[in-house]
Amino acid sequence: MTVCCTIYVCYPAEDLILQNSATLDKALAWSIANRFSLSRQFAIVAVAVFVVGLVRGLFITELVPWLFFIPVIIASALLLSRDAGIFASVLATIVAGFTIGNSDHAFWMTGPQWAGSILFLLVVLGLAVLVGELRYTFTRNRGLTETNAETNILLGEREAFLASVLASSTDCIKVLDLDGRLTFMSEGGQKVMEVSDFNAISGCPWPIFWNGAGNVQAEAAVKAAREGRSSSFIARASTMGGTEKWWDVAVSPILGADSQPKQILSVSRDITASRYNEEQHRQLSRIVETTTDFVGMADLDGVVYFLNDAALNMVGLSRERLGGVHVTDFFPPDDASQVEKEVLPAVAEKGHWIGELSFRHFVTGQLIPVLYNVFPVTDTDGKLVGYGTVTRDFTERKNAEARQRLLNDELSHRLKNVLSVVQSVASQTLRQSQDLASANTALMSRLVALGEAASVLTANEWSSAGIRQLVRTVLGHHADIGDRIIIDGPELVLHPQAAMAFALALHELATNAAKYGALSNETGKVRLTWSAGEADDGNGPRLKLLWEEVGGPPVQPPSRRGFGSTMIERSLRAYFKGEAKLEYRAEGLRFEIDCPLEAAGSLES
Amino acid sequence: MGQSKPFNTHSILIVDDEAILRFDLADFFMDAGYHVYDAADADEAIAILEAHDSIRIVLTDVQMPGSMDGLKLAHYIRDRYPPTVLLVTSGMRKIELDEMPENSLFITKPFDPNRLLKHIEEIART
Repeated sequence: MTVCCTIYVCYPAEDLILQNSATLDKALAWSIANRFSLSRQFAIVAVAVFVVGLVRGLFITELVPWLFFIPVIIASALLLSRDAGIFASVLATIVAGFTIGNSDHAFWMTGPQWAGSILFLLVVLGLAVLVGELRYTFTRNRGLTETNAETNILLGEREAFLASVLASSTDCIKVLDLDGRLTFMSEGGQKVMEVSDFNAISGCPWPIFWNGAGNVQAEAAVKAAREGRSSSFIARASTMGGTEKWWDVAVSPILGADSQPKQILSVSRDITASRYNEEQHRQLSRIVETTTDFVGMADLDGVVYFLNDAALNMVGLSRERLGGVHVTDFFPPDDASQVEKEVLPAVAEKGHWIGELSFRHFVTGQLIPVLYNVFPVTDTDGKLVGYGTVTRDFTERKNAEARQRLLNDELSHRLKNVLSVVQSVASQTLRQSQDLASANTALMSRLVALGEAASVLTANEWSSAGIRQLVRTVLGHHADIGDRIIIDGPELVLHPQAAMAFALALHELATNAAKYGALSNETGKVRLTWSAGEADDGNGPRLKLLWEEVGGPPVQPPSRRGFGSTMIERSLRAYFKGEAKLEYRAEGLRFEIDCPLEAAGSLES
Repeated sequence: MGQSKPFNTHSILIVDDEAILRFDLADFFMDAGYHVYDAADADEAIAILEAHDSIRIVLTDVQMPGSMDGLKLAHYIRDRYPPTVLLVTSGMRKIELDEMPENSLFITKPFDPNRLLKHIEEIART
């Protein structure tokens, strides 16, 4: 407030001075603007001097004769030119001398008059020169002022331009001192950096705004600029709003008049979007390059111009050999014509085609089943420019399908064979039974025994059955294993057919023991033992298996041999390709097998 | 039965490695009045055929262990004993016609022995 008042008080006085100077200024300016030729100047001077001389001669004879001429001389030198001033001085001296002298004197004037004249001339000459110089200085000064004003206008325009450039630029333009501290940030820069108050960060060391490796790079850039070198780097930094962005930064020294760095200019451009696009593009490229799917592109003529590594590997092509390869070259003749006549037109028309075809290996000629998936490749206007494909190798899938078919066939085979066995067991049971009720009971339990053998076999993919598990499973129904039935023998694996027959045989033996033998009372025991040892004849190891009943009621040979005994002896003899002997000894039933081990199975490996 | 026959149709050879099946079929054909021979594999079958030239009907399974499977055995018999009635049976698959020897019949397991018997007698009558 006080400052304002002071200015207000001072203002009228200053204005007055300026007005006074302005009058002189205007006259001088006018004289400079309207220059007269030297002859006209001299004429004006001559007229003025003679007028002054006349006035002085007529009216003022008593006073110092030269005094009246001084204003004319000053005015001439100031408003016309130095030369006009000199001319006025000389002319004034002559006119003054003429008006003061008379013919009484031998030399027109008295001695003192001559001395005064000469002195006057010297003084006014000096004055004319001085005023002329003043005029010249004024002229030059005026020119300088004009140039200065022009320069100022230019500078103003330039500054306005630069300011608008700085403000409108989305680059973040900063000026740092030589220690790397922020001293200036452009308006646009503050916007992109989300700076609400530059004062809050002014003077902060600029490198601290950079994260991780960027911090080190920023420090290095400041150091380089301090040493007079420009540098640039790309790094991440968060805006004041906390958004992390990628920046492309150029850092350069601002040199002073002595060509030494005085400040540092740092221009950062937000490249997050392009960086993101680049990153996304890189990731997509990586997907294309690392997928095991065949990825390829061809132009409208069907000439292939891109294949990923998986594609090259799949069909045995090398990048060098890719040139000029046509889409149809990838297929055997039939599929090739389908691709040309059906697939590509369908893609151009409907935008997509997918189906199972076969590729042909370029080197081996081997067919590769594929799921061929073709789509149009379009330019940014959506115009079709080629074809793209992501094709899956279906070899594994086809193999899996084949394996599945094989498995189904195998399963069907087993099922039918088991049904055939069931058919035979049922047929034999009915054939040997005296009545339907006993046939029913026998058949049910026999089918259960077959089922048990089947489940043991299924656990081993129908390839073999462990003898111990088979024995425990089948005999477990009849008595406690380890108590009434004692088992002893090495683990063996039996062939599927042998396992089925053995399970049935065990079932028959146990059923018989429970009905008539050792398991029919409370005390009898069954001992089932087997061994697999080397035979004396050198034809490989033999399996010896013994079913021995003790402690049962006295045994009586049956009057009629039914399925049980027939099954036991006859089929085991056949399956085990050895001896199978059933003895109805009075002290207990005894069943013995003696066969080559390999006919029945093998020692567990 | 009781009709004139060009050769002895009452001898049959049953070849199957599944003994339970083989014995049951043997019992069935015996009950039907046939003289039955049985073999667990092709080698046994060939030995029996060589020993008994009265056999004119062979029923063989396809899948069998040994040097020859049932199909090869059937071809062998067709070549060696052309008039033999050949019946090939399997639970495995449909045998393609061109895989089968001429004048032979493929039967899928399991089958009804009664229908098989009827069929054999029809062939024997022609």
